[in-house]
Amino acid sequence: MTQSLAVDVHGLTKNFASTRALDGLDLRVATGSVAGFLGPNGSGKSTTIRILLGLLRADGGTATMLGGDPWRDAVDLHRRVAYVAGDVTLWPNLTGGQAIDILGALRGDVDRGRIDRFLQLFDLDPTKKARSYSKGNRQKVGLVAAFASRAELLILDEPTNGLDPLMEGVFTDCVSEAKAEGRSVLLSSHIFAEVEKLCDTVTIIRDGRTVESGTLTELRHLQRSTMTVTIDGDSAVLSAVPGVQELTADGQRVSFSVDEGALPDVMRALAPLGPRGLISTPPSLEELFLRHYGLHAEAAEAATRP
Amino acid sequence: MTTIQEQGARTLSRTPGRGRVIDAYAGFGLMVQFIVRRNWLRMLIWTIALAGMIAIVVESQRIAFPTQADRDAYAAIANTPSVAALTGLPYAASTLGGILNIKLWMTEAVALAFAVIFLVTRNGRAEEEAGRTELLRGGVLGQHAYSLANWVVAAGFSVLIGLSSALVAIGQGLPALGTLVMGASFTGVGLVFIGVAAVTGQLAQTSRGANALASVILAAAYLTRAAADLQADEDNPSILSWASPIGWGQQMRSYGESLWWPFGVSVAAAVLLCALALLLERRRDVGEGILPDRRGPRHASALTRTPVGLTLRLQRGSIIGWSLGVLVGALFFGTVATAMADLLSGDNPIAQGFIGGSKDVLDGLLGFFAMANVLLISAFALQSTDTIRAEESSGRAELQWSRAISRVRWALSRMAVPAVISFVLLAFSGYAIGASFGASIGDPGQGGRFAAASLAYWPSVLLVIAFVVFCAAWLPRVASALTWGIFGSMVVLSMFGDMFGLPDWVVDNTPFTAVPRLGEEFSAVPLIVIGGLAVVLVVLGLQRLRTRDMTAA
Ligand SMILES: Nc1ncnc2c1ncn2[C@@H]1O[C@H](COP(=O)(O)OP(=O)(O)OP(=O)(O)O)[C@@H](O)[C@H]1O
Ligand SMILES: [Mg+2]
Repeated sequence: MTQSLAVDVHGLTKNFASTRALDGLDLRVATGSVAGFLGPNGSGKSTTIRILLGLLRADGGTATMLGGDPWRDAVDLHRRVAYVAGDVTLWPNLTGGQAIDILGALRGDVDRGRIDRFLQLFDLDPTKKARSYSKGNRQKVGLVAAFASRAELLILDEPTNGLDPLMEGVFTDCVSEAKAEGRSVLLSSHIFAEVEKLCDTVTIIRDGRTVESGTLTELRHLQRSTMTVTIDGDSAVLSAVPGVQELTADGQRVSFSVDEGALPDVMRALAPLGPRGLISTPPSLEELFLRHYGLHAEAAEAATRP
Repeated sequence: MTTIQEQGARTLSRTPGRGRVIDAYAGFGLMVQFIVRRNWLRMLIWTIALAGMIAIVVESQRIAFPTQADRDAYAAIANTPSVAALTGLPYAASTLGGILNIKLWMTEAVALAFAVIFLVTRNGRAEEEAGRTELLRGGVLGQHAYSLANWVVAAGFSVLIGLSSALVAIGQGLPALGTLVMGASFTGVGLVFIGVAAVTGQLAQTSRGANALASVILAAAYLTRAAADLQADEDNPSILSWASPIGWGQQMRSYGESLWWPFGVSVAAAVLLCALALLLERRRDVGEGILPDRRGPRHASALTRTPVGLTLRLQRGSIIGWSLGVLVGALFFGTVATAMADLLSGDNPIAQGFIGGSKDVLDGLLGFFAMANVLLISAFALQSTDTIRAEESSGRAELQWSRAISRVRWALSRMAVPAVISFVLLAFSGYAIGASFGASIGDPGQGGRFAAASLAYWPSVLLVIAFVVFCAAWLPRVASALTWGIFGSMVVLSMFGDMFGLPDWVVDNTPFTAVPRLGEEFSAVPLIVIGGLAVVLVVLGLQRLRTRDMTAA
């Protein structure tokens, strides 16, 4: 590995009484990159993040964050990390502005200029008591505190939970800006568009185990593309090509899915049929992801294994 | 939950009309079931504790006063200002029932009042604060159904306490009529404070505020009737007694004249208060209080940005409230003690029960008040330290622990506040008791003497703080209930242990009774032992807090 890593987790395990929350999880975040962290509900994302924050102690495996041990060096590491939970709980009788200052002071930097800028970007009134904030506004308090800090690593656990689309846009800009500043970001999310737009790499986990990780391009590589094309002649020829599946024909218009490796054969078979209006769609993140979310994921996995 | 939803759907189909008064109560029966299901254990424990106390005290008094001659002798000296002020004017003191009233009636009544206040707030304002009421109200639930169900369950609980107390006493051979009146008098006090908590739950926006407001009203009711009972003419307290809901219960005079009609006053007051609460509920939004919420500062002050400063800021209201309460209590103790001292004599058995082994009756009595004062301050310390657990279960600890502060330093900042404030409170309130008493006997030197005696309890308060930290670290999920439960039994033991006929080695060795009382020979040994114990518990607690997983609710 030539690149330095902001987060390096290997074979992490964690049990809660009888529940096995993490079962050999791997996760890497390269320094200066934005890493997406996806998985179904209860798959262990928050647990992993809490271990990275030294709030929970791992049972096994190794975890390194910014070169330190998340549990042992927690206090020192936290000066360099900013964290936003999916459900920001504040002190009900303090204002949002006070909470932001206090959180900043606890990390060791309060930059009024930056705070004011992000307050404005997120359109947040800092003089309201936290108890009267809406869900999204509470979330904004956490986000402003995190982005206004100068932390090297931002750990965001479903941070846009409850934000309106406009604010989600602001959030996306802020993450891009953080990346431009050279900061690293670990972003756990259920929103594909967000991850697709922002993330350099993606890690998909399921039942506490990493099932897929890499750059989006790499992941797409492993997946079948969908092709739609209009042809003259009989589409049955195509079904004979190894690697073509889910073939459907609607008059002259056929669509099918195809393995990356079978493309040359498919092209050869198509050429004599006078193909027009060929559309090839790479798998969306959603499709990649649903493969691991769905009930049939296990079966699908088994099927793709040699 | 599924059954509730299913049944909720059924309720919907049964109530097609819109805008009818009854609609405001749709889902009432369901909510009663729901609240009972969530609280039955809590209510059962209260019932066992309160009814059990009656069984124990009747038995111990039967042994203490076995013959009618003993009881007559006791009755002749029972009516002292100390009894009047603390537990109420005695009636029928020559009967076992009357003795039971003197020993236990006030404790039971006040305990039940607290129980219903906490119960109503827990299911009312606290639920609303947590946003769960909104969840329910989003379903097919009338505007008032949940509140009404809450109060009805609490009322049922009050009746249960009254009945079980009465049954236990009848089982112990006490006369049925007086016993039933006693049970009803408890129920009456409970009902009124349901009404009080119902109203405070509408006024305040937080459960803490609702509980505090209702507790202040309870304290006012207690002090009002104390003043009334002290100004008694024979066995008629001053008219002031009728200004206190606790006074209404007393006026039923169980085992004496056994009057029923004051019970009607209690019920009427409870109904009126609940009606007022419904009126308030109609006028406000879910989640809001009637008392307005103001905007706050845009920035945190330099002080609030430090961990200790934050703790101070968060507990500002509660610190001010407790301080005022402690101070008023101290002044009250000081003046009342002076009045009582004139009438006390060293051979009065009740006085002996209260004042321990000291030679000087007056000193002993004041020492007793000093301890009561200390227990109040300890309750503050407990509540303040308990926020360690509250921060963690609410998720706010996650917010702080993921910053650059170690859990140990964070916990220490939370302990420093109650430790220092309790020191200040002990000194000031001790001084206040002494000074107000000194003023009445023309001796200005009393203030310092009392302050010193009061400060001797500081290690005990620190032990309370240490115990809370220890429990929060080792048994996070049950810490709050456990610490309050043990502290509550400690209070009963320290104040009334002698009366329950418990062995001396138990009564004299609680963290509070082991400390030398005012007027007793001073010895530093208990203080050192208690302080040492506190240090051990803190070290063990912090060690555990540092190494365990964060444990949310
Ligand atoms: N404190 C705890 N005690 C017991 N079990 C827990 C605890 N915290 C998490 N779990 C369990 O561990 C598993 C992983 O939970 P985690 O919160 O990490 O999931 P997640 O991926 O963040 O899910 P979501 O997308 O819903 O946020 C779940 O089965 C959860 O029930
Ligand atoms: Mg999660």
